[in-house]
Amino acid sequence: MDPVAAAVIASWSLDPKLLCLLLALAALYLRGWLRLRIELPRKYTIGRLAAFSSGLLAVLLALASPVDTFGTLLLEAHMIQHLLLIMVAPPLLLLGQPVLPLLRGLPRWIFKDALGPFLGCRELKQLGRTLVHPVVSWLALSAAIIVWHLPRLYELGLHSQAWHGAEHACFFWAAVAFWWPVIGVWPSRPAWPRWAMIPHLVAADLVNTGLSAVLCFSDHVIYPSYQLAPRLWGISALDDQSAAGAIMWVPGSIAFLVPAVILGMRALEPGRARTIRPMPRVKALRVSPRLPWDLLRTPILGSILRFRYFRRCVQAAMLLLAAAVAIDGFFGPQVAPLNLAGVLPWTHWRGLAVIALLMAGNLFCMACPFTLPRDLARKFAPPRYRWPRQLRSKWIAAGLLAGYLWAYEAFSLWDSPRWTAWIILGYFITAFMVDSVFKGASFCKYVCPIGQFHFVHALVSPLEVKVREPAVCGSCRTHDCVRGNHLQRGCELNLFQPKKRGNFDCTFCLDCVQACPQENVGILRVLPGASLREDRPSSGIGRLNRRPDVAALALILVFGAFANAAGMTEPVMLWIHQWHARLGFNSTVPIVTALYAVGLLIIPAILASASGWVSRRWARAGASWKDLTCTFTLTLVPVGFAMWLAHFSNHLVAGWSTAIPVVERFFSRVSPSSFPQAWMPGWLPSLELIFLDLGLLLTLYAAWRVAHRFANGERMALTVMSPWAGLACALYAAGLWIVLQPMQMRGTTMMHGMMH
Amino acid sequence: MTNPKLLLPVTVILAQASALADGGAVQLRKEAGPFVITVFTAPAPLSAGPVDISLLLQNRNGLEPVLDASVSLILRSEASGAEIQARPTREWAQNKLLYAAPVTLAEPGKWQLDVTILRNGERTEATGTIDVARAFEMASSYWSYIAFPPLIIVLFVIRERLIRRKAKR
Repeated sequence: MDPVAAAVIASWSLDPKLLCLLLALAALYLRGWLRLRIELPRKYTIGRLAAFSSGLLAVLLALASPVDTFGTLLLEAHMIQHLLLIMVAPPLLLLGQPVLPLLRGLPRWIFKDALGPFLGCRELKQLGRTLVHPVVSWLALSAAIIVWHLPRLYELGLHSQAWHGAEHACFFWAAVAFWWPVIGVWPSRPAWPRWAMIPHLVAADLVNTGLSAVLCFSDHVIYPSYQLAPRLWGISALDDQSAAGAIMWVPGSIAFLVPAVILGMRALEPGRARTIRPMPRVKALRVSPRLPWDLLRTPILGSILRFRYFRRCVQAAMLLLAAAVAIDGFFGPQVAPLNLAGVLPWTHWRGLAVIALLMAGNLFCMACPFTLPRDLARKFAPPRYRWPRQLRSKWIAAGLLAGYLWAYEAFSLWDSPRWTAWIILGYFITAFMVDSVFKGASFCKYVCPIGQFHFVHALVSPLEVKVREPAVCGSCRTHDCVRGNHLQRGCELNLFQPKKRGNFDCTFCLDCVQACPQENVGILRVLPGASLREDRPSSGIGRLNRRPDVAALALILVFGAFANAAGMTEPVMLWIHQWHARLGFNSTVPIVTALYAVGLLIIPAILASASGWVSRRWARAGASWKDLTCTFTLTLVPVGFAMWLAHFSNHLVAGWSTAIPVVERFFSRVSPSSFPQAWMPGWLPSLELIFLDLGLLLTLYAAWRVAHRFANGERMALTVMSPWAGLACALYAAGLWIVLQPMQMRGTTMMHGMMH
Repeated sequence: MTNPKLLLPVTVILAQASALADGGAVQLRKEAGPFVITVFTAPAPLSAGPVDISLLLQNRNGLEPVLDASVSLILRSEASGAEIQARPTREWAQNKLLYAAPVTLAEPGKWQLDVTILRNGERTEATGTIDVARAFEMASSYWSYIAFPPLIIVLFVIRERLIRRKAKR
């Protein structure tokens, strides 16, 4: 192929946001279409699916193909883009009759709880009818086409991405409204008879023709940007403009007039009016109750997860990996980006662990390598003692967690392979010693700071180890899920499945799944954050929202997320070094220690106490300060988790390729000549902001729901939650600031090269 | 905590962070040697911070795009004398007829642009000047993400009212 032609064809501008949106729409439509096809096979044919898919493809072609890339250089390419958005994509999408499939494709809670009230709203229905009324929609499309082709506005679109997007949105949505009555989208009722769509289409063609003629026959270049643009292949700007006019004229007219002819022929068909049956009522919208989706019942993955030795295999793999990291940490080069201990735990493992929490649940604890050696040792010498009653809380773990977060920053643990290796070794030794003496999973439940991180954040995970059908457990007398049996041990963390609520303290070990003789325990889909609002006691935990130790743990994790991420931003680093120089200390440790004492302990304690006190003043009588503070503190977990997610995903995405040469070096024992540098794609800050947005919204929603327990009426609930909402918004604002700051890319060769 | 030398790579990372679309506003158009050179910059208007500079090389005769040249750029701030070197490539460009490179313009003002093209052993040079405005607030480019939570909150409030109204009926 000619290299220039090949270069043109390869000039795609694939925007991840657009791709995600189109894929999500395709998945939603397909899901809904599959359901509706069972109920209404004549209505939802393969043709509808093909039409909708083609419509999405047309949008992709318009916004991501070379048509978009060359739109700024050639008016004809820009015109093709507009035709795709006005005359191709909307009718194809609407021919797919998308309303019901998209609604039925949504998760049940979104469709029923979030959208339900809007779908039933009279005013919105009336607004929708007005927007797709033939007169209104014709006016809207004509106005959009004429106004956006005025030179001043067209130039605005050419010079600004935002205005260009607005222009495309106007074209697309006006066209959707225009084509809606022409196609007759179900279940809306047509305002005019079908034959009346013929003048509707012809009138639109007149506008299109008038504008095309102006472009075709103008003796000067209307849009100055094209005059300035380099002329490709010697095509003059005026010729380009005439060609664009011709494209708008001929294919544009075909797009309007062919449907008009088809409608005319149908109207003239004898007896057609009588054969049109009334549309079935919206029976399809009824949602039947279903059992929640169960990961263990998925075809391949479910079988793998249910395999008796699955966990042992994963733990063994992680144990080998941990051993490799520790060996390299002790004996490898003490340069973090060149060492497994400087790259895998801090860049990859943390990122993958939080993504697993977001997408599934506490998969880290499921694969935890630290408990494997003690499990093997227990076969020979079982522990005798129970964990002391006075220590059965999260206070030790919370203290260790705060200490770890401080040490990470104060001693730059991420920059020291040897320290990383010592931490790993220390973890194995501690887990082994604690669990050699004490029964159950005492280390996991009361000591392990990493475990607590996962227990708390798994409260916002979408999957939960849970009883499938509670009625089955009603007749159970053996309680194998917690007591175990001769084949399988029960839950070491004392979580009795029928009374377990949420993921807290659950290591996803699946012992209960293996132990239940009724096979009544699954990994079920749940609403993320639902357990944050629970006020019922949970087995092995009690009432989560009445435990100060859990609240303290949550508070450390929430504020730790922001402190930890802020520590790698340029302004905070500069500030620390300014104070370091001003106070004349030998190291930054005292300043970091003071910062962490204030940011991780004092400020959170003051803010939470004060918020609890304010809420107490406005709450109904009987609500205690302790209950309010503990309950509302837990609702801050989503915004804190969002910050961890934004922070760790930043490291993972920017530094994922750094593992390859380090692994190569570990096995070949030869230093590679070059190392990939950290690279941050343009979409990453957007993704981080989406995480923060969702975290804030989930926190506010949880606080709103919780507030109703302490208030009589909505106004009172709003005042009770307001200090916590303010705190969440302040954390969110801090997160925004952090995400938009220049970041230090720890654990990458670039960073290290500059250090020395 | 590490030393402040790390701030330089921080800036470089930020420069790489913004994979801007190539093309954008035409900054320079010159005929030099056998080529017509057009330099584009994005974003428009050009402001200090991470930017994308791209070039279209065309044969003088027939204006056919030239795809097999080696291009290098030097940008020099007239105010501070700061210098940036870049090697635009077609791989980096979205429009594969262009040669593009991401650079970070650290300060506003006039920057001198030197373009060097090597093709078939022949060297062609062109120079020009570009005006760089003050850096815009990074937050302004993410306004839609920041506006998202308030929008959802408003929708939630409407939803609650609709539910209440339905319950009253």
